[in-house]
Amino acid sequence: MPDEPSRAAQYPELGRVTRVLAGREVLFDQEGFFWEAKDWTEDMATILIRESGLADLTEIHWKVLRFFREYYFYHGRAPMNRHLKDGTKLSLQVLESLFPGGIRLGARRLAGLPNPKSCF
Amino acid sequence: MTDGLIYLDNAATSCPKPPAVLEQMLQRYRELGVSPGRGSYDRALQAGDAVERAREQLARFFGAPDPTRVVFAANATDALNLAFHGLLRPGDHVVATQLEHNSVLRPLHTFRERGWIKYDLAPCDGHGFIDPDDIARRIQPNTRLVVVSHASNVLGTIQPISVIGRICTEHGVPLILDTAQSAGTIPVDMVDWHLSAVAFTGHKALFGPTGIGGLVVHPDLDIQASRFGGTGIDSRNLMHTPTFPHRLEAGTLNLLGILGLSAGVEYVLEQGLETIHAHEMRLMQRFRDGLAPLGHIEMYCAESLADHVAVLTLNVNGMNPEDVGAILDADFDIAARVGLHCAPLTHQAVGTYNRGAVRFSPGYFNTTDDIDRAIEALASFSARPHHT
Repeated sequence: MPDEPSRAAQYPELGRVTRVLAGREVLFDQEGFFWEAKDWTEDMATILIRESGLADLTEIHWKVLRFFREYYFYHGRAPMNRHLKDGTKLSLQVLESLFPGGIRLGARRLAGLPNPKSCF
Repeated sequence: MTDGLIYLDNAATSCPKPPAVLEQMLQRYRELGVSPGRGSYDRALQAGDAVERAREQLARFFGAPDPTRVVFAANATDALNLAFHGLLRPGDHVVATQLEHNSVLRPLHTFRERGWIKYDLAPCDGHGFIDPDDIARRIQPNTRLVVVSHASNVLGTIQPISVIGRICTEHGVPLILDTAQSAGTIPVDMVDWHLSAVAFTGHKALFGPTGIGGLVVHPDLDIQASRFGGTGIDSRNLMHTPTFPHRLEAGTLNLLGILGLSAGVEYVLEQGLETIHAHEMRLMQRFRDGLAPLGHIEMYCAESLADHVAVLTLNVNGMNPEDVGAILDADFDIAARVGLHCAPLTHQAVGTYNRGAVRFSPGYFNTTDDIDRAIEALASFSARPHHT
């Protein structure tokens, strides 16, 4: 099987930004989403939440981030809205309020999932 | 909707479709589902007749003089591409508007990037309307066509097409109208409005299925073929059939789509355009008035709902529009469309280019209860503190 094209090759319009995070060089897009979900580590999430203005990730934050990642790596895509609600047992209103930046720019970004390809 | 979802995304596609339309489409396809206009057996002739009747029906619907110039395409984007590829030549100039969908902007931009054409866009004012004089000022000696969206898919504003049509006639420039957001809710009159072509889609307010639309061409407009193939006639000739409608149609037609579109138009005519539009605008008014006192919500170009179709676009202060859409969906069973709605320059005009917005588009089958529940939902979470 040929190698899958990298996200950078698939979506050149998103631009790329390299930064050193938790001692590793990591590629992000211009909105701060990881290019490759596998580059993510818990240490990186901790640094990113502090950059967002929160002192630390609480257990409920970790529950959300872990659900995002487990779902993504099992299904090969991010959870749909209702899966996110059912899987975290949180309303999306609550989830949105937990993370600076909300669901997409907060939780999903901190979980290391790629930038969703919505109508932008 | 039967599953409890409050569907407020009818500007994307109407949902649900009227049961009578779906039943008629399937019933007629069961009866006639052979290749229309391609054989001499009775069923093929009957299928061909059904297609021709649909052309006649659509010509009447759009006030077009010649049903043979009703050309079927996949959707409005496809129809607009037919027009652009068939009309524009190197050195041509086009006038469009800031309110265009990417169905217009992207072909024009691509043609310009290839060095074929130039184009200018007339701006919209702070209320979402185009000043016809701004179009007139942009017409040049080499302007080959003017293309205008009848109703903005972001703001819902209806443009003064009959005035623009007169201006185009005075300048001798064809006017192409994109009716993706208007056909089925407000009347379109090709002759009265001096339109050279009308692009339409079947799956929105005309209640047909996806995958069917078309281009209605005035006899005075000479659009060349840009795709070639079988038409079912004159097969020895290796040149594509020059007569309409075959000139712009290549390959087997989407018979199921045409039957569904025809049933949808019939349904619209039975209900009446005025009835449909009045119902949708009553919902719009209720929605706008219900949201206005809330604060924390910014609505775009909705101060007056005169000359509007049922589209209301807004943002909740302090929240990302994608998150608003996700909350509405998962927590309230409300479907609304977020993002840029494939009309980036419209968002530029209202200052939402960077973050997008949330669009609500009630349809004929929505109720006041749907609207009240959407207002309640937005009220419940828009006022609380947010991180962003």
